[in-house]
Amino acid sequence: MADVGRHPNIELLTLSEVKEVSGHVGNFRVKVKRHARYVDEKECTACGDCVEVCPQVGPDEFNFGLVHRHAIYQPFPQAIPAAFVLDMETCLGNNPRACGKCAEACEKHCINLDAVDSDVEFTVGTIVIATGMEPFDPLGMTEYGYGRMKNVITAMEFERLASSGGPTGGDIRRFSDGKTPKSIAFIQCVGSRCEGPGNSYCGNICCMNTIKDTLLLKDHWPEIDVTVYYIDLRAFGKGFEEMLKRSRQLGVRYIRGIPGEVEENEDQSLTLHVENTETGLVEQHQADMVVLATGVQPRAEAHDLNKLLSLQLHPEGFLLEAHPKLQPVDSPVRGIFYAGCAEGPKDIKETVTQASAAAGRAVRLMSQGEIAADPYTVEVNEDKCKACGLCLKVCPYGAFEWEKGAKAEPIEALCAGCGTCAAECRFEAITPHQFSDAQIVAQVEASLSQDPEQKAVVFACNWCSYAAADTAGVSRFQYPANQVLIRTMCSGRVDEKFILRAFELGAPIVLVSGCHFVDCHYIDANRQTVRRVEKLWDKLESWGIRPARLQLEWISSAQGQRFQKTMEELERLRREVTPREIAHTRRILKQKLHPPKPKKQARRKGVAAHA
Amino acid sequence: MPDTPRIGVFICHCGTNIAGTVDVEKVAEFARSLDNVAFAETSKYACSDPGQQAIQKAVAEHRLNRIVVAACSPRMHEPTFRACLAQVDLNPFVLEMANIREGCSWVHLREPALATSKACDLVRMAAAKARLLEPLSVRKYPVKRAAMVVGGGIAGIQAALDIADTGAMVYLVERGPCLGGTMAQLNKTYPTMDCAI
Amino acid sequence: MPEDKAHFKCLRCEAEFELPYTPGKLEERECPKCESNSVRRLKTPPTGQED
Ligand code: SF4
Ligand SMILES: [Zn+2]
Repeated sequence: MADVGRHPNIELLTLSEVKEVSGHVGNFRVKVKRHARYVDEKECTACGDCVEVCPQVGPDEFNFGLVHRHAIYQPFPQAIPAAFVLDMETCLGNNPRACGKCAEACEKHCINLDAVDSDVEFTVGTIVIATGMEPFDPLGMTEYGYGRMKNVITAMEFERLASSGGPTGGDIRRFSDGKTPKSIAFIQCVGSRCEGPGNSYCGNICCMNTIKDTLLLKDHWPEIDVTVYYIDLRAFGKGFEEMLKRSRQLGVRYIRGIPGEVEENEDQSLTLHVENTETGLVEQHQADMVVLATGVQPRAEAHDLNKLLSLQLHPEGFLLEAHPKLQPVDSPVRGIFYAGCAEGPKDIKETVTQASAAAGRAVRLMSQGEIAADPYTVEVNEDKCKACGLCLKVCPYGAFEWEKGAKAEPIEALCAGCGTCAAECRFEAITPHQFSDAQIVAQVEASLSQDPEQKAVVFACNWCSYAAADTAGVSRFQYPANQVLIRTMCSGRVDEKFILRAFELGAPIVLVSGCHFVDCHYIDANRQTVRRVEKLWDKLESWGIRPARLQLEWISSAQGQRFQKTMEELERLRREVTPREIAHTRRILKQKLHPPKPKKQARRKGVAAHA
Repeated sequence: MPDTPRIGVFICHCGTNIAGTVDVEKVAEFARSLDNVAFAETSKYACSDPGQQAIQKAVAEHRLNRIVVAACSPRMHEPTFRACLAQVDLNPFVLEMANIREGCSWVHLREPALATSKACDLVRMAAAKARLLEPLSVRKYPVKRAAMVVGGGIAGIQAALDIADTGAMVYLVERGPCLGGTMAQLNKTYPTMDCAI
Repeated sequence: MPEDKAHFKCLRCEAEFELPYTPGKLEERECPKCESNSVRRLKTPPTGQED
């Protein structure tokens, strides 16, 4: 930690939150809100004179409120920056100034009670997300009595209890009476691997953390009786099994079975009711103290940041990587990487490994001085452009030069390639590279050139629903073979005419799919998708075509199962469309899309006759 | 490359991942029947060195100017095959992939016949698009040699130090008043049983 | 009514229901029954309903 404080290339912004990120890989513009510390970080020598005069106290967060601290404080002695901080919530107040004793006491005058929050702005090429985890809060699991019974504590509270910097100076003592417990019980998997109030996944670190705690106890307090209640013991890392063995050798009892209930006895010791799954018996055990090995979950506060960066989450709430096996530290957004528990529960060694990997990936991107980007920009055909300006209106990036009466000109550097402008343009003046009208229509036509009535045409966006199809594939989720996927970068690219062409060629069902609103990779280009689909539903209905034949679905890349279910449902819907209905649709669309122009048609007929 | 399209279609076995379900030879035969397809063959592992060399060889021998690779998802190996084309001076963007693994063989494991006919459809669609592909050139952007690391726990600290040591600037953004995160609250850490700070 | 509501119909499972609705605002909607997003606003609410 101290290395960070000293490093000439690191600017440490504490009490800070990311408020805004714009731009893209290579050039992210970041706005950070820096909350006032009220203490000059550089000048403060942590002498502690201010603390002595501070009349206010609040719970010490670092020690999980087990002890108190003053309104002006240092979180822990080795904290970096090595400066005090004033917590305005606990302080008597600065506006109006109610006390101000600390400022008077500080000889170096580094306390400024009038300090205000500030905005910091900078530009970076890459971003590493390391927002970490928080321990599961067992308050909701009433069977263990946490919060009600003084001697039921969490694993993190145990850490503080055992720490020489903690509330007891490292002595293991009961909260109820300050006595050294004669017996301690650890309950594993609290808030992990369960339905209901906890999380469904394994917390990864809790088994080893408990084993570590038992060794610590046996090394320093061999007389304390230690029992561990578990479902499975997962000691799979290097050197881990040895630790477990040593723990058993030192006399720690391991009982396979999780207590169903903890009861408080008169002397505030505890009775654990447990079904021992090795003996098959329901047993009662006594313990002076119970430690809940609580699981790990992503930080709730991290969600705002994830939204800001259009990052996606696993169903459990951890960040979704670009590829679970091959790109484990890359986010799906280029130039953003993950380190540590934000991506999933992991121990310190794994965290450090991943952090170095993320750093390596970030440096690799920045080392060339420039990076290549896909050429998925658009071209405007000047002859066709009618200078209506609709493209600029729907472009999430404002990537057009346009003024009333002037033809639109794309600004290549701003264009991210969603192609929603091309779907909007009524004059077919815009051609997105690699996803032109002609190319997509060619795919539609090819997909329906044989047995069209057997097929559902699915438009899927590269980042979410197409990725979800890949996830379904990797997971081997089986579904009927009646769909053909057409990939676009964004669902906002899907033009009404692609859909109508599919119906005209006899497609029973068309699905437009893309990212959930929060996940849109082009800011909000998929709002255009909704608007167009809703409009088209109306149009279809007015033409006598069942709107339900056009389906809309948001599927994130992690939702392989949702994709599978959607495909099954599409097949059900497809079967409901009769050949008669399809023929009827084709007739209608033939009329609507190619209305006979009497004169011309006559002439064409004439030509045909001659030929 | 405004000349007539000469499409080469390469259908990957991916070992048994694809060929175990989809009749790849049948797909190749079907591909040969498509307009503008000048060449089609199967490949054990298209992404492997021999697989890529076979594509490159066919490009030269059959003067191919559009390429369809029917294999895994483009999200997987599109960059691989683009690079492969670039090596033989073919524009990387005249490539279209047909996803017959994630989008076909793996999700229709018990229906080989249907999977095969779907693979044919996907190849037909890819060829239809490939026919209209045009060469493009990638855009180059300058990259700012600076990084933001969000979170000052052990992960953020390690990442920040590693990046900063290469000479790049790092902005380390932490919500709380100091570094350390959850790790700093631990008393001892496994497997070394030493102090966390 | 604190915010405007409108009648919607799921184009997948045909369920009909009420959801918050602000004219002109594009929103992500989900059918409460089948979770589909193929949710269409009914311009003429079904007759005879009270809730
Ligand atoms: S190209 Fe894709 S499908 Fe073919 S061998 Fe490689 S991974 Fe498998
Ligand atoms: Zn529904």
